Amino acid sequence: MNLAGLKPGQKGRITSIGSVGPLKRRLLDMGVLVGEPVKVEKVAPMGDPIEVRIKSYSLSLRKSEAEAIGVEVSE
Amino acid sequence: MSSQLCERIETKEEGASLGANLQPVEKRTITVAVAGNPNCGKSTLINAIAGSRLQVGNWAGVTVEKKEASFEFRGNRIRLVDLPGTYSLSPYTQEEIIARDYLVHERPDLIVNVVDSTNLERNLYLTVQILELGIPVVLALNIFDEAKAKGFTIDVAALQQMLGVVAVPTSAIKKSGLDELLQAVLDTARQPERRAPRALNYGVDIEAALEMLSRSLQGGHAGLFKQYPKRWLLLKLLEQDPRMVEETGYADRQAVEVALSHLKSAHGDDIESIMAEARYGLASGLTREVLEKPEFRQTELTEKIDRIVLNRFLGIPIFLAAMWLVFKLTFDLSKPFGDWIGDMAAGPFKHWATTLITAVGAPDWTISLATEGVISGVGFVLAFVPVIFLMMFFITFLEGSGYMARAAFVMDRAMHSIGLHGKSFIPMLLGFGCNVPGIYATRTLENPRDKALTALLIPLMSCGARLPVYVVFAGAFFAASSGTVIWSLYVLGIALAIAMGMIFKKTLFRGDAPIFIMELPPYRMPSFHSLCLHTWEKGKHFLVKAGTYIFAVSIIVWFLLNLPWGVQHKQDSYLGKAGQAVAPALAPLGFGTWQAASSLITGVIAKEIVVGTMGEIYAPKKEEAQKIPPFMEDAKEVAVSFGKAVQESIGNVTSTFGISSLAPDEKEDRSSLKSALHQDFTPLKAYAFMVFVLLYMPCMVVAFAMRQEFGSWKWFGVAFLYQTALAWGMVCLIYQAGSLLGLGV
Repeated sequence: MNLAGLKPGQKGRITSIGSVGPLKRRLLDMGVLVGEPVKVEKVAPMGDPIEVRIKSYSLSLRKSEAEAIGVEVSE
Repeated sequence: MSSQLCERIETKEEGASLGANLQPVEKRTITVAVAGNPNCGKSTLINAIAGSRLQVGNWAGVTVEKKEASFEFRGNRIRLVDLPGTYSLSPYTQEEIIARDYLVHERPDLIVNVVDSTNLERNLYLTVQILELGIPVVLALNIFDEAKAKGFTIDVAALQQMLGVVAVPTSAIKKSGLDELLQAVLDTARQPERRAPRALNYGVDIEAALEMLSRSLQGGHAGLFKQYPKRWLLLKLLEQDPRMVEETGYADRQAVEVALSHLKSAHGDDIESIMAEARYGLASGLTREVLEKPEFRQTELTEKIDRIVLNRFLGIPIFLAAMWLVFKLTFDLSKPFGDWIGDMAAGPFKHWATTLITAVGAPDWTISLATEGVISGVGFVLAFVPVIFLMMFFITFLEGSGYMARAAFVMDRAMHSIGLHGKSFIPMLLGFGCNVPGIYATRTLENPRDKALTALLIPLMSCGARLPVYVVFAGAFFAASSGTVIWSLYVLGIALAIAMGMIFKKTLFRGDAPIFIMELPPYRMPSFHSLCLHTWEKGKHFLVKAGTYIFAVSIIVWFLLNLPWGVQHKQDSYLGKAGQAVAPALAPLGFGTWQAASSLITGVIAKEIVVGTMGEIYAPKKEEAQKIPPFMEDAKEVAVSFGKAVQESIGNVTSTFGISSLAPDEKEDRSSLKSALHQDFTPLKAYAFMVFVLLYMPCMVVAFAMRQEFGSWKWFGVAFLYQTALAWGMVCLIYQAGSLLGLGV
């Protein structure tokens, strides 16, 4: 399961980050870390990007970026 | 004072008197770098502290904005240097590189780290990294009032204790805590024992690895310790930070591998993740210790707004309504003032200059130079001021309020498909009013690639200055369906922008799409003071930088139109001759006449001038002896017409739902020009000419705007080349195909 697969309102826990290089560093810097709880809040009106809640703030990312983030659904 | 610091002060004051070291610290200028996350209220804080003393420029070699201010505070001179807002000090984004290079190489005396108190954990992640530099830090716990209102309690004393730095609660919007913050800056700069913050412990394994690396560096690379803050150096080498590895030329990979080996066996082999987890671990730990949140999290206002604003069905309509409002306010409010400035330059100011020059008895050509060259040039530049100021005001408002990020969120899917970013939409939209504010608005795009691609496509948005050309030609040749014809030109521009976007994405901008990952910050009302200050800085920048060039070009064009001395007809001037030279190249397009070519050349200044030049060529006005009205009458005219502009500006916004500044207005009667055009043009040729005006090179104001925004002529050069080629190719296709099919010949 990856983050792009969660539906709005679903929560999960991050299990892996598959991206590399600057993208990976950016995710880490924004608090997207393995073990971190995450909740998908919304999908943009045109279906991409998505908004997630992590570390008590709102982050938006493209689905292509979210696909590299592995999650296990927690609720 | 630590010996390292003594050394620093000494080197800084090299060349000063030998007694410099004995002077009390407060006699020196204290250089303070201001660092913090985006959206932490940093600019508002700096604006509140420094106000009009801010100097805005660019960081050397890049076009990221640099703000500085120098002022006295309680008998001390403080120099603030605003660093770009960053989430981290990674070596990947332009902003982060600027921030860390400044901190490492310029070594400010102190860093004020602005922290958003409502989002402590992520902000402290940057704090943890800043502390690695060993430079004294003062923490500004900004937006403290909002955190309090949310029911957050922050134990400031505990935070100070754990970080080993002074922390001051501030609210930039309410201007509270500012004096306390500056006092803390002075105290910290004065007190040696508080100078170096304590190094935070990253855990046994990382610390052991650092220790090991330190020992191996002592061997052959001890010199590096003098150049860089020690802990920062060790951490960056351990992280294998590409920028630092290159900069230091440190090639002893084996030492790093040895130091890493235990760390990797204990934590897995991804050093970037290990470090991020260690730093976030500290930030989370600190947050847990000092922050108490109410037990039940209330649904915040931001979430409530977003439920509507980002709603699946309402999101796009709301976005379009917001864009309509921004567009209408920008252009409808500014146009009467721009027109007023233009009219004043063409009327009263010209009269006064003529009177003055006649009075001193200077030759006639100086009158022409002063009025048509200098005053027209100045008027031309100033006429852009209202629209640029208003655009900056609204763009800054959209950014500061948090809506810009939502606009990007809503539009990204569509814009991304042509290789752009969600944030590209607004600059392109503004391009329909005038390409110049559109180019300046690309500064909301952080990534240089997104920014350049957006700027390249903006000139294809048919701007308000092209409309007068369409109105004359469509009116003369397509009377019944002129609306449809004009509409088709707008659509053609958009279609070509989409096509060019796709082509650029696969050619000039090949490679990975830039990272989108973006915070959706809480909605906040930006401070009016800060908005105005920002707008003023930007507007001033345009006036000084672009204005000077544009003015110079106006003068040069005046000479080209009037040289060699004594030319009677425009076709004999240098410009007319240039038109004759260019004309054959336009023959395959259907309008290979010197008249058309000369008009197009003058249109480079601004595209609406095409109509003016054609008017002069095809239907010259009879020379009337210009009567100069008395001074007082003109002076009254200046005031009265300004009053009218104010009225019109307000009327524009309140009276109609449409965009009145885009409604074609025909102040002058162009009927003689329209009938004269039938000599040289057919409907097909007229349409070809309009398409050419739509597409051919951007006007010079856009050129200077691009030069200013990108710091080089490169992107203007690309725009010039592709647009000229596109214009020629497209129009040739239209004309030749039309001729073959016998359409409107």
